[in-house]
Amino acid sequence: MDDIEAELGISRSVGNEDFSDSSEDERVARKIRPPILLHSSTAQARAKESGFHESSRLCLKAIRDAMLHHHWQEAAQYLSAYSQTLEDTTVNKQSLACEIIWRLGTEILQHHPNSRLEDFNALYEQMKNSGVKNYAKICLEHSFHLLLNGHIYDAKRQLSVAASWRYGKQSVPQSLDLKLIHAYCGFLDYVIWHMKKSSVSEAEDNSSNREMHSYFRQASVTLQEIIAQPGVWDPFVLSYVDMLEFYNDQEEALKVLQNYAYNKDYPSNPNAHVYLYQFLKRHEAPPAKLISILKVLHHLVPSHELMQEYCYLLVNSVVPGHLEESLPVVFNLLDYPSWKNDLDTWNCLLTVMTVFKRKGLQHLIANEWKQRKDFWLTMHYRAYHGRKDSELNRELLLVKAKVAKLLGEHGIYYNKFSTEVWGPYNVEDKKRKIV
Amino acid sequence: MDEHLTEGYSEPCKQCGAVSWALSDGCQFFCRNCHNVIEKTQDVVDVSSFILNNKISSISSSSRKKTRREGGREWMVCEGFQFILKLQAEALVGLGVCPQFKTDVLWDFWKRYLQITRQAYTRSPVNSFTNTVYLSSESEPESAFLSEASDQTEPMSASGHSTDGRSSVCSGSLDAACYLSAKERKSRQLMNMPRTLALCHLALLWLREAITLADLLRLVSRRLIPYINVYEEFPEEMQFYGRDAIIFRVETIPSYRKVHGEALQMAEILQLPAFPPVTSDCLLHPALLSLRYLMEVNLPDELHSLVCRVIEKSAMGKESFLTFNPSKPKSTFLFYDLQAAALIIVTMKLLFKLDDHVEWTLSRKAVKKDDQGKKKTSKQGSKMFSLKAWYMTVHPALERARQREELFEARRPWKSKKVLIPAMKHKAVVLKRRRVVEQLQSSFHTLTGSVPEQQSSSPSSFQFLWGQEEDSDGPSLHHKRLNCMLEKRGKEKWLVNQAYWHTDLKRCHKKDCRDHYSELKHSLPRMYVWLLGLFSFLLRIFV
Repeated sequence: MDDIEAELGISRSVGNEDFSDSSEDERVARKIRPPILLHSSTAQARAKESGFHESSRLCLKAIRDAMLHHHWQEAAQYLSAYSQTLEDTTVNKQSLACEIIWRLGTEILQHHPNSRLEDFNALYEQMKNSGVKNYAKICLEHSFHLLLNGHIYDAKRQLSVAASWRYGKQSVPQSLDLKLIHAYCGFLDYVIWHMKKSSVSEAEDNSSNREMHSYFRQASVTLQEIIAQPGVWDPFVLSYVDMLEFYNDQEEALKVLQNYAYNKDYPSNPNAHVYLYQFLKRHEAPPAKLISILKVLHHLVPSHELMQEYCYLLVNSVVPGHLEESLPVVFNLLDYPSWKNDLDTWNCLLTVMTVFKRKGLQHLIANEWKQRKDFWLTMHYRAYHGRKDSELNRELLLVKAKVAKLLGEHGIYYNKFSTEVWGPYNVEDKKRKIV
Repeated sequence: MDEHLTEGYSEPCKQCGAVSWALSDGCQFFCRNCHNVIEKTQDVVDVSSFILNNKISSISSSSRKKTRREGGREWMVCEGFQFILKLQAEALVGLGVCPQFKTDVLWDFWKRYLQITRQAYTRSPVNSFTNTVYLSSESEPESAFLSEASDQTEPMSASGHSTDGRSSVCSGSLDAACYLSAKERKSRQLMNMPRTLALCHLALLWLREAITLADLLRLVSRRLIPYINVYEEFPEEMQFYGRDAIIFRVETIPSYRKVHGEALQMAEILQLPAFPPVTSDCLLHPALLSLRYLMEVNLPDELHSLVCRVIEKSAMGKESFLTFNPSKPKSTFLFYDLQAAALIIVTMKLLFKLDDHVEWTLSRKAVKKDDQGKKKTSKQGSKMFSLKAWYMTVHPALERARQREELFEARRPWKSKKVLIPAMKHKAVVLKRRRVVEQLQSSFHTLTGSVPEQQSSSPSSFQFLWGQEEDSDGPSLHHKRLNCMLEKRGKEKWLVNQAYWHTDLKRCHKKDCRDHYSELKHSLPRMYVWLLGLFSFLLRIFV
């Protein structure tokens, strides 16, 4: 509840971002309602509204109904009638109209069968230049659209035009938007560099090489700036590291990744550790280093897919004490339902348990099992699972049965299905508690 | 802003050799470096050639101090209203009103108005130029119409009004400033847009034409009578900008109550004598008007005789009651269409009681009686009028019609191609917005593959069509009999239903007497409310 209030509060203040003095802000604050409540109006308000406003309210309702029913042709017709609200003389309604037409227009164009890229371009251009509040957002959306349709150079051009735009005092959300624009400029430079790289590798051409390098320089400057600020910059970090690796600048890449993962100013981000791990694995770092990274990741996300690798690393490690840590890791992994039916994970558990048995560490297994017995039996070893596994995944059934045997669980109903492991199901066993 | 429009032209400039063109206000190409203007003008805007670069740049070619535009003449606001009335009269004559409406009645009313308010046809006109300056220095023009945040007026100093009365910088007409002060509007009884309709209504009433006020408003809504954006048709020499916009721009079609009130005021202002009497052969007489409404709502024709009986008993058919006489202080200005509808509703109430019980009982009896007499009846089916059958026929048609109306209202274009510029400093913004709107509309039209113009429907006084045709709203019930509602007691026929109800009557002060319906609505029988809803939809009166 609090969050919603905060959200609405933010949107209300965003709606009020004006480039004039505060008294006008207050006046505007009283008139602008949060966008969520835009479509509903009180009966009193309706009694006093002009015919023009009534028409636009009914038109918006018709557009909404047409869109919800996926009648895109109708929706487009009503939207073209709605565009007359751009000429409204009431200030707050006019600025809302810009945003409404932008958002609804792009939605309709996306679904309409006859829409072409030129229509999108035209709509974006027109809405960008009507009203200043939404300029940065529309620019970003426009360039995303071009990017997704493969027009990388156009997208880049759009963003560079937008990056140099200024209007009056810069408000806080606007500065965020501009930061994003700057970041994506760099990202698009990287994409172009990547395209050039793959084309250059065939033909040795000096000028295109030089272009490629110039794009690299541009991209790296921008991305470095962006990554230096605290935040979540996953795609930008990856692209920067990719470029650095191509130019064999390993130290810089390592520095960037470590900063991204370990700097306290940045929000806690498991992906940072994943990227660092993958980078070090690519460059054949010693296992001890890999283990230390994955240890942090294990604390953050015990159910991560890299935990299997971590487990194997621990098992194969020469450092004493690591072996004992591997069992809780794999048990934790199987505590999560996402790994319930994963054959590799169960095989990993089986391997670890056999190693432990060989090294005489059954007491550790017993400890772990004691904590988990009750909920594991219902989560993994019910009769339903037995039926499902015997029909769908015979191998999994066998592995799970072997694990159960190692754990000493003889009497469970699950074992009925895996006669190869247990032998024929005995009548005496039936007398035991059937789970 | 203009690069996409000048994109195709890449000749180097003759003076400086650069290739960077932009468009001036007069749609001529000029070089951005050296401001060299060339002959080439803007081509037809083709949205499909939209290129993605857009930088705003333009120069203004005219100085702000121009006080008089070329080719224009000076005009007063009442001339504008005169022009509008002329257009409206021509439209009405085209719809079938007799030609004397335009040439005699309306014109006489207008001349009388101008004379009485001393705007023309008088020896001491109010709008003489010395008076104009005197008045303007007294009254502050308000900018209350526009709700734009900062639309402060230029100060009305003497320099704004030169002594020979040239048009001021803030309006095309000479005296638009006078129309902006509420005090002056009231004291001088100035004209406004709803009053044009009020004047038409009075003139129609004088001629006792069949077009009632509800019909008039419906014709305005269907754009058969010019009202919204009439200023588009002003002749070229009437320069139209600035404050004129506030006077002539329309953003609402006035409600019935408003036009009626204005008509009453106009009748007082004009000091009209008694209107020609409304006799029983006249189409405004409730007997004939109710027949029209009965046909409209698909009620049987037999009901009409009952309605006429009600008219007799309530003495609402008398000439003295129906005729409007502004010179008598106690004479009421009637709502003829509302009255006819009310009579029909009262008749229905007498016949069926309409308390959510009796009418359904009676319809069941009607159906039963029908079944009994089926051997005698022809193959056409039941001959008795059953309220239930009527409701089941009319209600879906009403819902469809309401939906159609709502969608029609949603698509209504309010803004015209001829752009209204309320103040010179907003001119660029307003023109740009208009351009954006037109481009958006054309691009969406090409997308949908059609240009859905507002269909000008053929003018018809009926909104529903009952019969067997393909596009009818339902089967016609006009021929049904009402025998089951009447029973014979002795020699006379009495109504089966003998009860009648009414809501509590109480005194209320004239000034506080506003909207009683919304208070009572929840306590009224649903059938009654539905019936009121039916007639209010027909007459376009929104409760």
